Amino acid sequence: MRRLVIILLAACALLALPHGLSFSQQEILVFLTINILLVSSYRLLTLTGEWSLAHVVIMGVGAYASALYSKELGVWVPVSILLGGATAALLAVLLSFPLFRMKGFYFLIGSFAAGEIIRLLWKRFRDPFGGPKGIKGIEPMPDFSIGIYDFDFFEPVSYYYLSALVVAVCLWVLWRIERSPVGLTFHAVHWQDKLAEASGVNLRAYRTLAFAIASGFAGIGGGLMAHYVGTINPNSFDVDLMVYVLTWAIVGGTGTFYGPILGCVVLTVLNEIVLRELGFEQMRPLIYGLIMILSILFLPKGLESIVQHLTTRGRGKGVEEQRAAE
Amino acid sequence: MLELLAQTGLNAVYAASYISLIAVGLVLIFGVMGVINFAHGELYMAGAYTVVLMYTDFQVPFFLAVAMGLIFVGCLGLAMERALFRPLRDNPLGGLVASIGFLMILQAVAAMGFGVRMEHIAPVTQAVIEFSERVRLPVARLYVIIAAVVLLSALWIFLKKTRFGWALRAAAQDPEAAALQGISIKQTARIAMFIGAGLAGIAGALTAPLVSVNPHMGHSVIITAFIVIIVGGVGSLEGAVVASVAYAIIHTFMTTFYDGVIADIVGLSLMLLVLIVKPTGLFGSADRA
Amino acid sequence: MTQFLEVDTLTMRFGGLTAVDGLSLKVRHGEIHGLIGPNGAGKTTTFNMISGFYKPTSGEVRLRGEVISGLRMHEVARRGVVRTFQHSTLFAEMTVLENALVGTHMAFRPNIFAAIAGWDREDRRGAEARAREALEFFGLHHLAGELAGELSHGHQRALGLAVAYASHPDVMLLDEPFTGMNPEETRGMMGLMRKLREDGITILIVEHDMQAIMGLCDTITCMSFGKFLAEGGPAEIRNHPAVIEAYLGGARHVA
Repeated sequence: MRRLVIILLAACALLALPHGLSFSQQEILVFLTINILLVSSYRLLTLTGEWSLAHVVIMGVGAYASALYSKELGVWVPVSILLGGATAALLAVLLSFPLFRMKGFYFLIGSFAAGEIIRLLWKRFRDPFGGPKGIKGIEPMPDFSIGIYDFDFFEPVSYYYLSALVVAVCLWVLWRIERSPVGLTFHAVHWQDKLAEASGVNLRAYRTLAFAIASGFAGIGGGLMAHYVGTINPNSFDVDLMVYVLTWAIVGGTGTFYGPILGCVVLTVLNEIVLRELGFEQMRPLIYGLIMILSILFLPKGLESIVQHLTTRGRGKGVEEQRAAE
Repeated sequence: MLELLAQTGLNAVYAASYISLIAVGLVLIFGVMGVINFAHGELYMAGAYTVVLMYTDFQVPFFLAVAMGLIFVGCLGLAMERALFRPLRDNPLGGLVASIGFLMILQAVAAMGFGVRMEHIAPVTQAVIEFSERVRLPVARLYVIIAAVVLLSALWIFLKKTRFGWALRAAAQDPEAAALQGISIKQTARIAMFIGAGLAGIAGALTAPLVSVNPHMGHSVIITAFIVIIVGGVGSLEGAVVASVAYAIIHTFMTTFYDGVIADIVGLSLMLLVLIVKPTGLFGSADRA
Repeated sequence: MTQFLEVDTLTMRFGGLTAVDGLSLKVRHGEIHGLIGPNGAGKTTTFNMISGFYKPTSGEVRLRGEVISGLRMHEVARRGVVRTFQHSTLFAEMTVLENALVGTHMAFRPNIFAAIAGWDREDRRGAEARAREALEFFGLHHLAGELAGELSHGHQRALGLAVAYASHPDVMLLDEPFTGMNPEETRGMMGLMRKLREDGITILIVEHDMQAIMGLCDTITCMSFGKFLAEGGPAEIRNHPAVIEAYLGGARHVA
C-alpha cells in the first residue's frame, strides 16, 4: 500500500515536472529522459564486468535503423523505434563474435574500433546513410489524443511524457532482469568466470546476452531521439557523448541500479542548468572535467555511496545494497 | 606514376615520423604507469599551442618555441602523474576516466585562451627540397622527420645504455620486482611521464605550422596512436615504431589512391584484426591488462 | 559393459614438453578415486583435461561411453562432471546463498523472458530450495546471508563443494581439497566427502599429499613424470615399491 502511494506520488511529480521549466529546459528534460535509458542499459553490460566504448554508436544504430525504416519503408514510427532497438541488438550479437574474443582493456579498445568503423561507414556511404550530413527530415511521431490530453509531438512536453513512459517500461524490464536468476548469473560471470563456467554457465552466451540486451535498449533510446530531433548524422554519436555516458556511470557508481541514473541526472542538471544559468558557457567543459577528476579521486564509489551512507543510518536495508556495490 | 609513388612515399615518411613520436610516448606511459592516457592527443595539442603563443604572438625563434613546447608539455605530464595517476595507481579505469577529465580541461583552456577557430601560423621556412618537379619535400616536414629520428634514437640509447633506462625498462616489465631491486617507482613514473608527454609536445610543436591548430586536433591523433600501439603490441616501443611506419605507408597510399575515409576504416579494421588474432599485438609479449 | 568414467591414453604436450603421456585410468561408479603423484607428475594437467579446461593433445575422456574430452568446461559440467578449484575460488562479493544459487544454474536454467514476465516463480523457489539443501548438507545453512569472502577458510572450502553439489553432479572433481587445512579441518572435509559418496556421487580427488587421502579413497592411481605408475587400494599403493621410489625420488629432486 505504501509502495503504491510512493509510485503514484512519483508519477505525479514526473507529470508536473515540465510545467515549471522553460522551453529549452523542457527540451533538455527530453534528452535527459533518453540518456537515463542509455546509461541504465550501459550498466547492464557492466554487470558482466565488460566496459564498452561502442554503446553510443550502437544507440546510433537504433536511431539510423528507425529513421530509415520509417522513411524508406514507411513503417509506422512507434513500430520502427522498436525495430531500431531490435536491429541494434542483432548487430550486437554479430559484433560479439569478434569482440568477445577479447576481455578487459582489449575489449574496451576493440569496441572503440568497432564503433568508429560503424561511424565511418555511415560517413562513407551516402546511400542509404546520407554521408557526413546524415539523415534529415525524419518522420515525427504521429500526434494523437487520449481524450484528456492531446499529444502534439512538436511540443517537448508531449514528447517528454511519451519518452518518460517508454523509458519507465524499459527500466522496469532492466530491473526485472537484474533481479532475476539471469542477473545473478551476470554477476557470477563478472566476479569469477571460471567458477561460473564450472557451474555450467555458458560464458560466451551470457556475455552476448548482456551485450545484446544493453544494445537493444540503447537502440530504442536512439530511435526515441531520432524521431524527436528529426535529423541525425555520424557526429551525433561520437566519442564525446560516449565520454559523457562513461562519466555518468562512474560518477554515479555502477554498484546499484540507481547509481548511473543518479550520475546522469545530477551531472546533467549541473551542466545544462546550473552552469548555463550562472553564465559559465565556455567554461562548462572545464568544470565538467574537473568534476570528473575530483569525483574519481575523492568519491571512487560514486554518488550512490553517499546515498547508501544516508540510508544505512536510518534502516538496516541499505546494507544489502552496499554489499552489491562492493 | 613513379613520381606519384615517390611523393606518396615521402608523405608516408613524414606521417610515420610524427605518429611514432606520439605513439612511443603513449606506449612508454602505458608500460610504466599501466594506464591508458586518453589525454595524449591533447598533450600534442598543447605542444602546438605553445608554438602558436610563443612563435606567433611573442616572436620567439621557432626552435626555441619548439623546445619550450617540449618542456612545457613534459611538465604537464609531470603534473598529471602527481595529481592523477599516482593517487589512482590501483584503479586503471579511474586513471582512464581522470585522463578523460584532464583532456576536457585542456580542450576548454585552449578554447578559452585562443578561441575555437583554427590558428594560422606563419610558415617557418618556405624552403622546399625538389627531387623533381613533382617530388618535393618541404623543409618544415624535414624538420619533423629529423626530430623523430634523432629523438627516438636518443630515447633508444637512453633506455638501453643508461642506468635510468634500465630502471625504466625493469619497472615496465615487473613493477614489484623492480621495487624490490631498489628502483624507485615514483622516480621512474616521473621520468616516463615527462618523456612520454614531452614527445607528444614536440610532435605538436613541430607540426603546428603544417596542420590546422585547433582545440580538437588531438582527437584524430589519439585514434591513430591507439591503432599503432595495438598493432605494434602494447608495451613494445620497437613495435610502436614499426607499426607507425607500416600504418603511415598503408594510410597514406590508401588516401592518395582511394579515399581518406576508407583509409581510416582499413586502419581500424587492421587493429580489430590484430586484437582478434593476437591481442598482445604483433610485437607484444607483456600483458598488463 | 562400458566404464563409468574412463581416461584413455590421454596425452598433453605444451610445446616440446610432454606433461601427460598416454595416461589411462578407470573410475568406478560410486567410489572415491584418488589421483596422486609427486610435484610435476601431471596430476593437475590431467584434472584440467577431464574438466574441459584444457583440450588434450591426444587420447579421450569418456563418461558412460560418451567422449567428453575437448568439450568446453560448461559442456562437461552439463554432462554431470563438475569440478572445484584449488584455494578458495568463490564469488567472494556475493552471499553464501547466492553462491549456491549459481550452482543450481544447470538444474534450473534461467529464462530471460520468463524472468521479465514473472513466470519463473516455481523455478526460483525450486532453485532456492536446492541451494538451501546444498548449504544444509555442508552445514552452512546458518551462514546463508553472509558474504562468501568473509567466511573462515574451512567454511569457504565447504562452500566450494556446496556450489558444485547444488548442481546435482554425477562426478565431482576435487583439486587438492586439503591444501592449507589443519588436521581438524581435514577430518571434517573427509567426513563431507564420505557423505557425498553415500549420496551416490562419484569423486575423483587430485592430491599431492599421499597420507591425507589414504584413509579416504577406495582406489588410488599414482602417476609420475606424466605417466601411469601404479593403481590399487590404499594398502597396496602405500607399499608399492615404485610409488615409494617416486615419492622419495621426487623429494630428493625437490631438496
